[in-house]
Amino acid sequence: MFEARLLNGSLWKKIIESIKDVVEDANWECSGSGISLQGMDSSHVALVSLHLKSDAFDPYRCDRNISLGLSSTNLSKILKCSSNDDSVIIRTSEASDNVSFIFESSNSEKVSQFDLKLMNIDSEHLGIPDMEYDSIVKMPSNEFQRICRDLSLLGESVQIACTKDGVQFTSSGSIGSGKISLRPNITAENLDDTVNIELNEAVLLTFALRYLNFFTKATSLAPRVILSFKTEHPLVVEYQIQDIGYLKFYLAPKIEDDDTKQTTTPD
Amino acid sequence: MLVIRAPFGVGTHVLITVIKYTGIFACEEFKQDLNKALKSENTAKNFTLCVLDVAIEEKQSMYFYSKGKRPFFRITVASPRLVPTVRRILEEGDFKFGDYPQKQYSTYESNIEFVVRFMVDTGLVGCGWVSLKGGEYEVRRDRSSRCQIELDVKYNNLVCFAPEEEWQAIGPLRILSFDIECAARKGIFPEADKDRVIQIANVMQIQGQPDYLFKVVFTLKETASIPGAEILCYEHESEMLKDWSSLIRETDPDILTGYNIINFDIPYLMNRAAALNLISFPYLGRTHEKTTMSNTTFQSKAYGKRENKSTKMAGRVQFDVLQILFRDQKLRSYSLNSVSYLFLGQQKEDVHHSKITELQEGDKLTRRRLAIYCLRDAVLPLRLLDKLMCLINYIEMARVTGVPISYLSTRGQQIKVISQLLRKAREQELLMPARKIHGEEEYAGATVIEPRRAFYKDPVSVLDFSSLYPSIMMAHNLCYTSLLGPGDRSELQPEQYIRTPSGNYFVKADVRKGLLPVILEELLKARRKAKADLKMEQDPFKKKVLDGRQLALKMSANSVYGFTGASIGKLPCIEISGSVTAYGREMIGQVKDYVEEKFSIVNGYAHNADVIYGDTDSVMVLFHVATVKESIDLGKKAAELVTANFPHPIKLEFEKVYFPYLLINKKRYAGLYYTQPDKYDKMDCKGIETVRRDNCTLVANLINTCLKKILIERDPGDAIEYVKRTISDLMCNRVDISQLVITKELTKSDKDYSARQAHVVLAGRMKERDAGSAPSLGDRVPYVIIAGTKKQAAYEKAEDPIYVLENNIPIDVKYYLEQQLSKPLLRIFEPIMGDKAERELFHGDHTLSRTIVSSKAGGLTMFAKRSETCIGCKSVLKGNEAVCSHCIERISELYQREVEQLRNFEEKFSRLWTQCQTCQESLHEEVICTNRDCTIFYMRTKVIKDLEEKSRIIGRFEQQVDW
Repeated sequence: MFEARLLNGSLWKKIIESIKDVVEDANWECSGSGISLQGMDSSHVALVSLHLKSDAFDPYRCDRNISLGLSSTNLSKILKCSSNDDSVIIRTSEASDNVSFIFESSNSEKVSQFDLKLMNIDSEHLGIPDMEYDSIVKMPSNEFQRICRDLSLLGESVQIACTKDGVQFTSSGSIGSGKISLRPNITAENLDDTVNIELNEAVLLTFALRYLNFFTKATSLAPRVILSFKTEHPLVVEYQIQDIGYLKFYLAPKIEDDDTKQTTTPD
Repeated sequence: MLVIRAPFGVGTHVLITVIKYTGIFACEEFKQDLNKALKSENTAKNFTLCVLDVAIEEKQSMYFYSKGKRPFFRITVASPRLVPTVRRILEEGDFKFGDYPQKQYSTYESNIEFVVRFMVDTGLVGCGWVSLKGGEYEVRRDRSSRCQIELDVKYNNLVCFAPEEEWQAIGPLRILSFDIECAARKGIFPEADKDRVIQIANVMQIQGQPDYLFKVVFTLKETASIPGAEILCYEHESEMLKDWSSLIRETDPDILTGYNIINFDIPYLMNRAAALNLISFPYLGRTHEKTTMSNTTFQSKAYGKRENKSTKMAGRVQFDVLQILFRDQKLRSYSLNSVSYLFLGQQKEDVHHSKITELQEGDKLTRRRLAIYCLRDAVLPLRLLDKLMCLINYIEMARVTGVPISYLSTRGQQIKVISQLLRKAREQELLMPARKIHGEEEYAGATVIEPRRAFYKDPVSVLDFSSLYPSIMMAHNLCYTSLLGPGDRSELQPEQYIRTPSGNYFVKADVRKGLLPVILEELLKARRKAKADLKMEQDPFKKKVLDGRQLALKMSANSVYGFTGASIGKLPCIEISGSVTAYGREMIGQVKDYVEEKFSIVNGYAHNADVIYGDTDSVMVLFHVATVKESIDLGKKAAELVTANFPHPIKLEFEKVYFPYLLINKKRYAGLYYTQPDKYDKMDCKGIETVRRDNCTLVANLINTCLKKILIERDPGDAIEYVKRTISDLMCNRVDISQLVITKELTKSDKDYSARQAHVVLAGRMKERDAGSAPSLGDRVPYVIIAGTKKQAAYEKAEDPIYVLENNIPIDVKYYLEQQLSKPLLRIFEPIMGDKAERELFHGDHTLSRTIVSSKAGGLTMFAKRSETCIGCKSVLKGNEAVCSHCIERISELYQREVEQLRNFEEKFSRLWTQCQTCQESLHEEVICTNRDCTIFYMRTKVIKDLEEKSRIIGRFEQQVDW
């Protein structure tokens, strides 16, 4: 038996919307510690790592570790049937090949139940181990979203340079080029608006904007985003979901051999 | 074989350029002035006298009906090279002679090439026989060629035989098939100026004899012997090439064959010899003339554009099997491997050219291995020629149409019709105008009766007009010579001519019989005779000849119509081709009306017959009877009744019964084909994805199996189950990658395509990886579509199948479902299942299982760490054990399941490995074949991956439990 109730049901909606462009079919791992999901996109350039602590749910019951195979598209369809202030209960039993989603309105007057067929997904469980990063940038999440969106008008990839003076985003394409620089700013009135750079070593890396724009769909989940860089290593784009969990995206750097080459799978 | 040399300047050959002229006795003046006009021309520089003779002849133009003959000038010039110049001078309008005014002249037959001209004038046909009477020829003492006997004869003393009776025999032609191997540098396709030729395998056969005359392999460095073949080892490449050149001269083959010799082997040898400075090498022909090479382009509507190398080798026909197949067969792949698999049922070991150098650098045994491989590539073209009867069919075609055999593989359709037309015209003293090409004119094509789409469980009779277009032309006397010009009708009585449905007028056969109908009648008569002879003939070789002959005759008859419609042709005539199709359209409609009226309840039949579909020359009739026999009987009766309504020789025939019959759309249908009541002949599919080449084989196989289940087993339910199973396999990565390969021909380079195309982009990418193995222009590029990100264009997702296999890259299941399988499957199943087809086939429970493959090529792969999951329930584990604490009680059961699977893989692997060893004809050597057309190769590579993975899992069990 597995059951988890989340009071703030709209959170589910936001989470699914932010990951569904990256992972289509994935196994949701449910254990005593909470619910987590790890999945790569099909060209193996990006990885999603989501964890929601068991404390986030009330009640939370998980008799044994189980993994629920679900399609993000279908999940998104079902969750769209919930209202923003509904609470969401996810429930399944061991023998069942369905998982139920129960939406309860805040005044308990309306209860809807949707059953989704479970999929049998055979995949390897892949994750990126923690490591020491050269540079960590903390900034407002909507600012980062804006930068990625604006630069994607110009080119397909963005070059990110972190130095002690700040962080610089550059992109160029057939119509021209663009450059956005941010200086560390710790004096802003609102703590959420600060740009904070922890620098061990300067880095210069290039990433595909297509993926960054997928990631920034998670902006509504958290006011701040944490970007962790390490030379020749994947970038981590991290959103803290209140104090109940996190959503991390990893993105492989583009290997710069030819500026015009746009394939995301390095050969 | 007759080698005809045309000695210039002695006037033994005729060149006729004829112009229309009304005056008489002006010949001498004309000749002198034309000679004067030619003086200033470049082409005429080397001739003292250009125009040899001008004479007046009474002839008729073949274009438009006309009465009586008119005088024409017949101009004989010294060399064929002068003909175009003379034509230009006369047609430009600047020429005047004597006291006659300056005017533009029309020329006739001035655009006919010399070889055809000569053959028409002498009555010589390609691959025909000639005889020389004693006293009319001289034996030449100082021979100018390598022929055993050399004779001089005047052209008009040449006695040519029509290929009939005893003259149908085919001489003992010597055919030499050869193949070369080159030592390529790593990653680079061999280049003649740098890379050595290391082996040349040669096999000679006398046409019609089962055994080979000899098999000999020229090799560089010592090579162990091969039973049944002679090995000649050389230390130096130059010596080997010199000896090969003398082999050609000494064995003196009539026909040179091989696979892609025209564009690879021959040019490579020529260029290599030039690079090595071998002056004596390029003398491969029968004359002492030096063999030379040039580039040619050939373009035609039917065959597309091809760039070829052309090597002039006097007296030898180069009969490249690849070129023949390009013309005659529509195939997925033209590699020798896939062709030999298709036609000979034999997979062939394929050694990648980068591996060849390795084998050469080994010892005498590895070189022997290479020699076996090389020899096989020389034998296969001969076997293909034999199996497909190419040579015989081409010889018969050359005889029927009268053109040299080499034209058939290098030229288009038109020249064949021209040759026949000229021969007939000569008999009737008609002349063919040298018309300027005029712009494209459109005329309505054939008609189709709108199909009534359904799955018919009752028998459907198919009636078709035999040789529809030729018989229309014969029945209505449609020809250039019977065509009436705008004003010509006034001179005739209304009963002397007809008006065609397209509004053109032609005189009837009793006024003047057309040339084309005569040609067609002869062709069809000859075909009937050949078919009758075929039935009587016992000897298998002669049977082949006759069958080739009747096929050639049929094709020739059909190409006559095409010739009149070819807008960029020598003599297009829209009036004829337009009338032919107009009659065709009218007749199909008449058949439909007649059959539906006659076979009705009113006339005493049990049901009203329905014509459910009709196309160009056939109609499908549903008589609503239960048995094939009744359907055949009614079909025959209907054909007879309809035929009686049409003029001779138009004939409607009962062809077959389809039972059951799945009619999907215009030109798309499938059915079981019956010609006799109790047993079907075959399953017949038209326009369905079983044959299209731009689909992957999965589609073809799936559709084929479904059709079999629906039509033969009559179990649509089973077909649906089968589709579901296949879709599920696709989602779980259980489908063989070879089934997913799509091939497209690389016809242009990247820049020439306006839109980016998958195979072109991929070819570019493969070139970056390894220039040597990358496909080049004209190759068919195999690829699979791999999973990409959202919104990624399809052309970016094409990938080399081998690369995909090696790096375990996930394929794009969605693409294969939506772009490849969906439409063809729905087309078949919608007539059966109706609207629910899509929902049931593509979204049912069977789509809930899928396997996500972990690629080795993605950018994140090198950083990612795998956490093991429980074999039982897939939950994530902390360590490296096999199952989670929850599933531990089932561990024995799970272990046995995995071991069982491992055993299956092991068995599969051994079977595949043995099969490959059998194919390479050596059971104790490693398999090195990388044949991309062979499904076994892909399966072998895949199963190795599967085995590794399974062994790892078994290892995990062994760690967890100490048994």
